[in-house]
Amino acid sequence: MNEPLLAAAGLIVLTVAVGLVRILRGPDDVDRLMAVQLLGTGGIAALLLTAYATGVPGVDDVALGLALLAAFATMAFVNLLETDDDETELGETEP
Amino acid sequence: MIPLVDLFSLCAIGAGVFFFFAGTVGLLRFPDSLTRLHALAKADNLGLGLVALGLLPRADSALAAFKLIVIWALVLLSGASTAQLIGRALRRGRK
Amino acid sequence: MLAFHRTAIFEAFMSPGAPTPTKVLAARLAFFFGLWLMIAGWTAKDLPVGLVTAGGAVWISLRLLPPGHAQPRLAPLAALVLRFLRGSIFAGFDVARRALSPRLDLNPGFVACPLTLPSGESRNAFCLYQSLQPGTLPTGAEGGTLQVHALDRSQPVAANLAADEALFKKATGYE
Repeated sequence: MNEPLLAAAGLIVLTVAVGLVRILRGPDDVDRLMAVQLLGTGGIAALLLTAYATGVPGVDDVALGLALLAAFATMAFVNLLETDDDETELGETEP
Repeated sequence: MIPLVDLFSLCAIGAGVFFFFAGTVGLLRFPDSLTRLHALAKADNLGLGLVALGLLPRADSALAAFKLIVIWALVLLSGASTAQLIGRALRRGRK
Repeated sequence: MLAFHRTAIFEAFMSPGAPTPTKVLAARLAFFFGLWLMIAGWTAKDLPVGLVTAGGAVWISLRLLPPGHAQPRLAPLAALVLRFLRGSIFAGFDVARRALSPRLDLNPGFVACPLTLPSGESRNAFCLYQSLQPGTLPTGAEGGTLQVHALDRSQPVAANLAADEALFKKATGYE
């Protein structure tokens, strides 16, 4: 019953990797960010499946760490985006 | 004859893989950033949730099961709040 | 110290009505201790370390998120959780169907929804809940109006949101 779990992990990684085409296509940085976020969620799912299929201790803790950190990249990015907006509104910088 | 528990795991994880696939397709096919955001926020959370659900009966302790649920809840919370942040930034940028 | 926690936990489960400070403290301590157990595992000699860690976490949580005015009611809360789970499953199917249908079935746009929850933690919690429901994604509020992005504007977005808000208020005790 471990092979199907590994197969599912592989399928998820493959699917999510296809989603990375969005990074090439863009058009905005937000779209690229979303593809990376999808990779993060898919990575967590694949790690969990691998943890249960192989029984190697600690792999699920890696998934937990990823889940904890998942939000930070996006928040930092949105902060950057909003400061950019404020500056353009004030006319301090030209994009 | 597959045990019932394994059958449950296979069904839930298979459905999870399907939602990851659907999320990726949405990310690639939907016409603008905001609609892609819907695909990202919803399909992936359900995908990871189903994978975690499928692994639940395979956890060897209550604490391991709790870890699966916490990982899912973390991804759910961060996914839902970052989707709103990105959505707000996009709406303001559009005006 | 241990005796204190035991009475606190006892009170948390036995006393009805508004949450007392003891009740809030006990609930948070139980939550953080549970998290610690999840990461560290159950080893008898490590338990004091876990209790101290959980106590520290409670102290930090009280600084960052002081107890609010929420008065959770069990039956409506269970209804809310069930509605949330059903809604997020339906939301996943909805997005999947629209993404996979040969002709993209979309009619996206913003819908302005009136919101009666005051801004603050209750509104944030509600928006979090709402962003995982089918076809809707709150994108921030201005005054009493929530700007919701919808995948399909022909759906009764504002009506569904109002119904959700009523149930949310009943379940959490926010008015």
